[in-house]
Amino acid sequence: MKRAELLSRLIVTVAVVGVVGTPLYLWSRTPIIHARMAENGGWTPDVIQAEAGKPLHLKLTSDDVMHGFAVGQMDMEAVSVEPGKVTDITLNFEKPGIYTFYCTRWCGLNHWRMRGTIEVSGSNTDLKPASPPLYVSLNLDIDAPHDATVVPNGQPSVSNGQSLAMDNSISLSHEEYLASSPFEVFDGLKNSSLTEEERWDIVAYLWQSNTTPDALANGKQLYAQNCAACHGENGAGDGVFADDLAATGEASMQTMSGAENMMMQTPVDFTDSARMLGATPALLQGKILRGGMGTGMPMWGSIFTEGQIWDLIAYLYSFQFEYPK
Amino acid sequence: MAKIELNRNPFIENALKSRYPQLAVFIVMLVGYIFAILAGLIGTPVGSHNFSIVFVWIAWWAVLILVAVPFFGRGWCAVCPIPLPGEWLQRGAMLAPPNKRPKWLNLRVPKMFRNIWLQNISFLLLALFSSVLLTTPNITSIVLAAMLFAAIGLSTIFERRAFCRYLCPVGGFIGLYSQTAPIELRIRDKQACVKCEGKPCYNGSEVGYGCPWDVFPGGLTKNTYCGLCMECIRTCPHDNIAVNLRPFSADLAKPTTRMDEAFKSFIMLGSAMIYAGVLLGPWGMLKDAAYNVGSNSWFVYAGVFLAIIFGVLPGLFSLGIYQRQNNIAFKQRFASLSTALIPLGMMFWVAFSLSFVLTNASYILTALSDPLGLGWNLFSTANTAWQPMLTSILAPAQTLALVGGLIWSARTAQKAANESWTSSMPVIVYCFLLTSVMLWLLL
Amino acid sequence: MSPRFLLLLFVMAGLVVAFAPLPVQSVTPQERTIDIDARQYTYSPSELQVNKGDTVTIKLISTDVVHGLYVDGYDVSIEANPGQTATLTFTADKAGSFRFRCNVTCGAMHPFMIGKLTVGTNNWLYRSIGLATLAIFGTVISIKQKA
Repeated sequence: MKRAELLSRLIVTVAVVGVVGTPLYLWSRTPIIHARMAENGGWTPDVIQAEAGKPLHLKLTSDDVMHGFAVGQMDMEAVSVEPGKVTDITLNFEKPGIYTFYCTRWCGLNHWRMRGTIEVSGSNTDLKPASPPLYVSLNLDIDAPHDATVVPNGQPSVSNGQSLAMDNSISLSHEEYLASSPFEVFDGLKNSSLTEEERWDIVAYLWQSNTTPDALANGKQLYAQNCAACHGENGAGDGVFADDLAATGEASMQTMSGAENMMMQTPVDFTDSARMLGATPALLQGKILRGGMGTGMPMWGSIFTEGQIWDLIAYLYSFQFEYPK
Repeated sequence: MAKIELNRNPFIENALKSRYPQLAVFIVMLVGYIFAILAGLIGTPVGSHNFSIVFVWIAWWAVLILVAVPFFGRGWCAVCPIPLPGEWLQRGAMLAPPNKRPKWLNLRVPKMFRNIWLQNISFLLLALFSSVLLTTPNITSIVLAAMLFAAIGLSTIFERRAFCRYLCPVGGFIGLYSQTAPIELRIRDKQACVKCEGKPCYNGSEVGYGCPWDVFPGGLTKNTYCGLCMECIRTCPHDNIAVNLRPFSADLAKPTTRMDEAFKSFIMLGSAMIYAGVLLGPWGMLKDAAYNVGSNSWFVYAGVFLAIIFGVLPGLFSLGIYQRQNNIAFKQRFASLSTALIPLGMMFWVAFSLSFVLTNASYILTALSDPLGLGWNLFSTANTAWQPMLTSILAPAQTLALVGGLIWSARTAQKAANESWTSSMPVIVYCFLLTSVMLWLLL
Repeated sequence: MSPRFLLLLFVMAGLVVAFAPLPVQSVTPQERTIDIDARQYTYSPSELQVNKGDTVTIKLISTDVVHGLYVDGYDVSIEANPGQTATLTFTADKAGSFRFRCNVTCGAMHPFMIGKLTVGTNNWLYRSIGLATLAIFGTVISIKQKA
């Protein structure tokens, strides 16, 4: 065989092997965490090992639509995980434990199922025993009906309530606020000479006095990012996924027990006064922490910090009371 | 207008005669092709960021339809890597013919397949799945690999480039539209060919192979089936092969008589219009139907697609050109007058592709720097934001292409009509109506 | 008439059809708010009609995944998360027809998630059809002359 022919074959072989081999090698050496919609697999891998005190470098990419990444109960900016692009992120865990990471950009009805865990090992064991959440220590049955039997006509006025509360020197400590529903406080004022409307105004003021503009702003942001897609931007339970939830609820609940359970899938309407004014912050905390057990309501216990949940709850009451938002 | 023989220039002649420049291009193309297959399989499943989708359906497509086909005819076929592995296997060599040829079957392709119907079918098969094919990297890879392996397989069974000539889904329309291109390969002197013994250009010799495209260069009158592989330049003992620069649309003066080619015109015309409506239109239902392969709505879409191509378009055309009394058979007039649709169809594709390509061209920069979606940034362009290009001149350019195509078609129609002793008016009106629809779809 | 003169005539006519200013129908500009639902891979409504000079506010409501909306020609865009309606306000000061499209990768058919905004009348379409008509007449006349 001629040398030229031999050389050509050699070059072609090397070129083909090179163009297959090199990318394959580099590809196999690049561990990437892939994000997909929950229906298509969620996070791969969904369990990540890390060590306390050592930085954890992650490469994240999305295989379909826009996703986000954050670690629950951690003070960090969520990062976007864009389709076809790689996001580098470095995390530092000081304490060992199991952390939950989750998708932060809505990616469909099952967005909230996109979660995984980071198992942080380490010798640092001075863990404080976790104190039970308020709804547990108060021994609340968070699934029991709790509707207020009296609701105001129209939205109570905070400014009116403020002067009335001053005049009658009425206040509500934070502990009382957390454990009482607006209706209970309203009911507690029944022996005064105030009209019903005035009493509601005072309740509105007392609720506002137990929150801050910063907390409300934080709650508003948390609500928009995590809750509004189902509960609606105006709290009316009419978010963009409300219909889809009802539809999937119907499909999954039908075989279980009758038509009433289907209703469980409808997102709660925070503008429903009976429901909201009968709910204590501690009760709402329980519902948020635990989630809806079979309804579309996710459990947020491993995601939100306690402070975030109280901020969110403060914001939820703003659908009832006229806070300056 | 006179033709210019490009290979009178000794530099061009030598570059074409030598096998090395072509081999160098082939290797680059083959490497790119294999990389595209690999990228589609292991890279990100996000089409707009995967090398396979971006380089095949945006970069390659843009070059093919906006430059290669209109200006170089089968120029793409001249450098296409798909037939190479099979051909090397078949020939037993990459360069000049070896002393001993390998013993493959070397069968002749059966007569019933020696037309472009298989190409019409293979194009339609891809066209019906195009929404998935265009957007899913691993599907694109599978199709690319399937073409490569089909070409290898056919090379071992049949003689010459059976895949290119009879099966390639792209080759069919490149051939059809290459008739309009200002470049051609022809013989210089007919007598030299008549006297030539052994016809090495077709049968091969010790310096080169017989025409891979199963064409006798001495009989070439149209570009349709000449793959510009330049093999006959190497084998011709009389230096009788010329690569000419010529006026646009020269081959269209010789209308076709073949139904497979006539229907190719309708297939291309129809698919350009359907794509313009489905992919670039504002109708979400159509997109859903086209994308959800296997669903009921997709079957309706596929049915309508085929009905437009094989029913509505040729039907209206037939109604227009129907005449009770004409000495020339209807079928022949149908085929002949369909030649007018060649420039129209090509310009429809140009207008459609302009929009698609200019909108998505910025993905090329991203995919170039990070072809597999692994977070690389090879040329510091990985983070280029998506941005449509030249949006202000898009609509005028599309109008120019479509109206230009219409004039071109009308003139072609006139030539074809003269040949078959009929009026060109129905065809011209037909072309005008289709152009108006296309304008409405795109603008 | 000489063919050259004829060609010149048609080119001139073509330029007139393509570029001649049209009488402007003055419509009092108004403020328009349009709610657009975005889902994979379509907008609804996907065809918008406004008058030139209108102040257009688009409220983009994503109903499944994150979508965007980019208006060709105007080069403005917004991004909407489900549950967070995004608002885009711009003055429709350019007449004609413009595609608007998703600019946040939202799945396979993302590049084809397209809608159409028509500001005033889509004059370029009518001009183009006019040009096509003119082209046909020109070609037919030149053919007749040769015959």
